[in-house]
Amino acid sequence: MASADKPINTDVPEKDVFALHFLQSLSNLRRQNTFNSPEKTNDRVKKIKKAAYVSMARAAGGTNRLWSRALLRRAAKENNKIVRFPRRKKRVTCLRRRSNRRDPVEEEEAERLRNLVPGGGGMGTSKLMEETAHYIKCLSMQVKVMQCLVDGLAPK
Amino acid sequence: MMMMMMNGGEATEAELFLNCDDMSVLERQRVQLNYHQYHHPGFEPTLPCFFPNSSKMNVGEVDSFLPSAGLDLPEIYGELHGDARISVSPGNITTESGNSKKRKFGCVDTETKVFNEKKKMMMMDREVVVEEEEEEEEEEKSKVTEQCTRSIMKMKNKAKKEQNSCSNDSSKVTKDSQRTDYIHVRARRGQATDSHSIAERARREKISERMKFLQDLVPGCEKITGKAGMLDEIINYVQSLQRQVEFLSMKLATVSPRLDFNVDEIFSKEVVSAPMMNLPNTVMPPHMMVNSGYPHDMVNSGYVHFNPMQQVVTSSDPLSCFNNGQSATMWDSDVQNLYKTPYPDDMEMVFIYSVFIKGHHTYFEIDESCGGVNGTELYPDVKYMTVSEFLDTLL
Repeated sequence: MASADKPINTDVPEKDVFALHFLQSLSNLRRQNTFNSPEKTNDRVKKIKKAAYVSMARAAGGTNRLWSRALLRRAAKENNKIVRFPRRKKRVTCLRRRSNRRDPVEEEEAERLRNLVPGGGGMGTSKLMEETAHYIKCLSMQVKVMQCLVDGLAPK
Repeated sequence: MMMMMMNGGEATEAELFLNCDDMSVLERQRVQLNYHQYHHPGFEPTLPCFFPNSSKMNVGEVDSFLPSAGLDLPEIYGELHGDARISVSPGNITTESGNSKKRKFGCVDTETKVFNEKKKMMMMDREVVVEEEEEEEEEEKSKVTEQCTRSIMKMKNKAKKEQNSCSNDSSKVTKDSQRTDYIHVRARRGQATDSHSIAERARREKISERMKFLQDLVPGCEKITGKAGMLDEIINYVQSLQRQVEFLSMKLATVSPRLDFNVDEIFSKEVVSAPMMNLPNTVMPPHMMVNSGYPHDMVNSGYVHFNPMQQVVTSSDPLSCFNNGQSATMWDSDVQNLYKTPYPDDMEMVFIYSVFIKGHHTYFEIDESCGGVNGTELYPDVKYMTVSEFLDTLL
């Protein structure tokens, strides 16, 4: 009982940390040959986007947050890498089935939110809220960082 | 009886009671109270003073005694107060053996509850105490016939049942009290009180609390009432943020050909291995930034700065610092590595980070004692702003 009621902690690191991770993953992208070669901008957009998300997950959550774990896992899967994260204490997979049978209206909205937040499928509703809060904070931070970069690099 | 006590695992106690036959009543009480003392550390300081007038204990004394005994009994104690009195003054009970049985059951009650209050001492312990109480009873009735003892056995069984139910009750009560420490779920009139409904209510309360937290994060979500609308708004916000990330990465993709991301190994290794906090200072000393000659509005070539080595470095020649071998040797070895790399190709990332993210052009100390001039003082009529302020205007 007591462990479930710990205060909501959605502390996010500084903007610098996000920027650093993002720049680093951008430079990693640059080092790849495919990125340098003349190709469609679409691919590049995809890669940058992915870099943005992954760097955000690395900067903020690491493996402590459910959403960042899901993001990193997905990214690793796309690269055909097998990653092993330290296992969490609690298994949350069974929660979804249980929570489905109540609050039909609210649950529908929560379902949509689950699809948006990475790794949301296995969360209970209250956990989903917490993760969403953290995710929103990180996303807005990442957006700020990217905005700064774009503004700084845009042709005058 | 002895077997039971042996089961209780208290050999010493058994020995004590073996000798009980030739003890006076008072002595027996003493033994018992010693036992109490042993098992209730909280009672220790005041219990010895019970002995002289244990038969004449008055209520007031007990009242004053209980709080002073160092027990942190919360509200539950208030409910049980009447019973608690009985439990503390066993002398009263044993001397007037008329209707002691009833009281003793009450006594058992409170014993168990008090135990629960004291952070759930071991079940064994509690049982032992209960058995001991019964033992006392038994001793009292030792001169009665076998029939009587049989009835006592029955009573004992009853008592055990009672105790079981009571322990269940009390554990529930303590659980409730623990819970109310965290979430205030109280069944109001007409609300269901079974554990499922209470848990469900607690869960919903938790969700709404998180929801409130989310509401503060999402702009424009304050006015909306109702969970569905709020969730809608949250979803929209998350979606808009994700779209923004996509849009910005698109912009970056178009911009990136202008940007050379080819940062050398130094950057990725040194920077990442360095602790986050020290990072900007070690990798990007301010004077380097100024001398970088990065073509941005904020870089004013008229600035005069000090580097941390107290050397005046003017920015007239952008590469002066990098060509200056003396200053290079004075830096830490990991920063020296930075100097070894060719200048323009590899440093750009660092400069971008410094200029746009950290704003190192403006955030550094100028040592007045060495004759440095703060650029902002030279032109008092110009309104200066920090880089982050400037960047905020672009947002």
